[in-house]
Amino acid sequence: MTPIQAGLLTQLALAALAVVAAVLTPPRLRARVAGAAVVGLGVAGAVTGAWALGGGQGALRIPVSLPFDPVVLSPDRLGGLFMLVAGLVGAVSASYGISYVRGPAASRTSWSAMAVFLLALQLVPAAADAVSFLLCWELMAVSSTVLLLAEHAHRAAVRSAALWYAVMTHLSFVLLLVGFAVLADAGGGTGFAALSTVPAGSAAASLAFALLVLGFASKAGIVPLHVWLPRAHPEAPSHVSAVMSAAMVKMGVYGAVLVTIRLLPGGPAWWGLLLLAFGAVSAVYGILQASVATDLKRMLAYSTSENVGLMFLALGTGLLLRAQGSAGPADAAIAACLLLVVSHAAFKTTLFLGAGSVLHATGERDLDRLGGLGARMPTTSVAFGIGALGAAALPVTSGFVAEWALLQSLIHGANAQDRLVAVVMPVSVAVVALTAGLALLAFVKAYGIAFLARPRSEGAAAAHESAPGMRVALVLAAASVVVLGLAPGPTYTAVAAAAGLPGPQPVGWWGIDLSAVGALLDPVALTVLAVLLVVPVLVVSVRLARRQPRREVDLPWGCGGVRLSPRMQYTATSYAEPLARVFDDALRPERDVLVTHSAESRYLVERVQFQQHVGDIVEETAYRPGIRFVDRLGLLARRLQNGSIHRYLGYSFVALLAVLVVVSL
Amino acid sequence: MSTSWFDQAIGLAAGVLLLTSVLLVWKRSLAAAVRSLAVQGVALAALVAVIGIYEGDPQLVAIALLVLALKGFLLPWVLDRSRVRIAAVREETPLLNTTASLLALSLLTMLAYLVSRPFLTLAPGPTSAAVPVGISLVLYGFLILTTRRHAISQLVGFLVLDNGIATVAFLTSGGVPLVVELGASLDVLLVVLILRVLTSRITAEFGAADLDDLMELRD
Repeated sequence: MTPIQAGLLTQLALAALAVVAAVLTPPRLRARVAGAAVVGLGVAGAVTGAWALGGGQGALRIPVSLPFDPVVLSPDRLGGLFMLVAGLVGAVSASYGISYVRGPAASRTSWSAMAVFLLALQLVPAAADAVSFLLCWELMAVSSTVLLLAEHAHRAAVRSAALWYAVMTHLSFVLLLVGFAVLADAGGGTGFAALSTVPAGSAAASLAFALLVLGFASKAGIVPLHVWLPRAHPEAPSHVSAVMSAAMVKMGVYGAVLVTIRLLPGGPAWWGLLLLAFGAVSAVYGILQASVATDLKRMLAYSTSENVGLMFLALGTGLLLRAQGSAGPADAAIAACLLLVVSHAAFKTTLFLGAGSVLHATGERDLDRLGGLGARMPTTSVAFGIGALGAAALPVTSGFVAEWALLQSLIHGANAQDRLVAVVMPVSVAVVALTAGLALLAFVKAYGIAFLARPRSEGAAAAHESAPGMRVALVLAAASVVVLGLAPGPTYTAVAAAAGLPGPQPVGWWGIDLSAVGALLDPVALTVLAVLLVVPVLVVSVRLARRQPRREVDLPWGCGGVRLSPRMQYTATSYAEPLARVFDDALRPERDVLVTHSAESRYLVERVQFQQHVGDIVEETAYRPGIRFVDRLGLLARRLQNGSIHRYLGYSFVALLAVLVVVSL
Repeated sequence: MSTSWFDQAIGLAAGVLLLTSVLLVWKRSLAAAVRSLAVQGVALAALVAVIGIYEGDPQLVAIALLVLALKGFLLPWVLDRSRVRIAAVREETPLLNTTASLLALSLLTMLAYLVSRPFLTLAPGPTSAAVPVGISLVLYGFLILTTRRHAISQLVGFLVLDNGIATVAFLTSGGVPLVVELGASLDVLLVVLILRVLTSRITAEFGAADLDDLMELRD
């Protein structure tokens, strides 16, 4: 038995153990026992994934008596990377969940579903044939729907979110099924080895590519297939949102990489262009929506859409540049895609777990009602801050490294002689730059409004730091963001190995050397340099400041006023208002201003009420008409089914008579 | 047994089957319906017995006895008891009135004869000539099921349908094996017993055995 086989078997055994524990243990111990088993499952997945990433071989055959190629679980290096990411995210989130879960999220069903969900997530990248891939994929979809439904009895929005999610995820499944069927037909087998014999230039390959990429894009939350994401992420329990956003959505990216790099390498240029266009639209749209969102978790969900958009953009750039023959920048772009995957997993776990702590402490998700949590929840505040830095792609975090690599490849890729590339690359640079800028705004808003200033509601004022178990998970997640940002070298080496890129050179203190595009990044050295430069300046200015007499100011930000109320602060809505105004056409916010005049005089205003709602324009223009049509069909169909037994019998009778008449004619 | 006697006996039994079903549709009194059903059961048993004696098949005669016990006596008795228990007298408002029902019957009979032409051309003979009667019975049973509201009438319709299926089976294949017939009879018996319990429950719940009341149970 190879270590990979042992690892896969351990995962299966631990998942079974977790389900048994969730069902059998009493409620008092359930979270601890089942949660510990799920954490173990995640760790086992991470270890197996790391082993596969390191080049370990091994396969687990599942005996079936169906006319397929053998159903095999055998992770390659690429699968190992994704299994590692999913396992780590799952382990951290489950350990957070142990102290976080309350009520229905702590039920037998929820913990069992959590174990199955994590197992499916870890086995999707292990699949080595279409059948086992789809099997694990469907298991992942179903178990995550169950998890999402946890609080359906308390909030009606959960049911609607679950419905959207179930429909979109099954749409994705159908597209994948058809896509793999087309490929299996052309390749003569369901194993990935047989599928990869299809020449990438053939019509079947292009059809399969289109279907599969659409299916994976739906799972990954790419605009315009993202509609489930801003509904499902806010309504799921936070540790589930973390796994969904940081790991499950990545499976869509994994699928896209699998199809374009492993199964059908060397596709035509339009494949890359398609992925790039999808990615660019989603990145800009996602971050725009995130900047104006006031629901903390909804904002994080849209930010997921943006980050996945960047991953698709990077992958598309890589494919496009490969098709045009500039291999160096192409490799850098593909590496950037996988770096984005790893970094997004780290900071989005931190952010969702942080949002969970905020929700847990205040009962609020609405940024306009938060505030002042920095003093009340110091650990959460620091961890969320680090996550926000990562999401805004600022230095010393993993997000910066990934976007830096992406920009390097885009800038150096533009040198190609091809006209198309010469146009597309600068536009992509602009898109990434705009996205990065808006992300900064969005996360300054999220952190500043929620954690700084004064509390805007009683819930926020009464907030308390979360339980030690939750804090440990948060700190681990936040630490990973910084470590990945400071020492990106090992990650880069692993990512390059996963995508089969030429061996990278280690540089400096765990730095990155993109030798193909002639760029170097050594964050530790830069940080040391920055500290050496800044510390003397700071010391000198503090010394100088000390010489001046000290003035006492009560409220430095009060502008001289003393009657400060929390209502006078910036809110999330007001902070993003200029942006909403600039992008009015793309966002179409609905504003209601209700002015109540004083009874004595029309010139005196007693009260002004302001309401703003930003809908999803894609949903309203593309989905609503379709939904209305289906609804109308449903109402018509309901008339057939009115509950009368006589009518049902009549249907059978008429059908029988019709058959008899046809037969006797 | 001579061939002409056999022809006559088959014709008589089939005629009684058809007549009783027409009576079932015609009469609205539930007591009369149950009586007609009993007569129909006896006629069906006689039909099976005649085929059995003519072909010298003792197994078929045994089946005839089984059919007689079940459809001639047991099921009508069960139905009558539940009719008495819930004090049902008449099918008050069928969905189709009597005249229209009888007209529909004639159309259904025509359809049955049209459909069974292949049987007659394939194997001309007294048994094939009676096949349309069996098919008519199936259609009548269905008609009763779709147009009657009372739970007892529904049971009657179901049994007529089953009688029709059995008639066609005996006439075309020269009888079914004893085991199969035993299984089918047991099924019918169980269905009737369950429906009987259901009927009394419906009556207890809604105060009447009108199936339209069940519409309230929809979502």
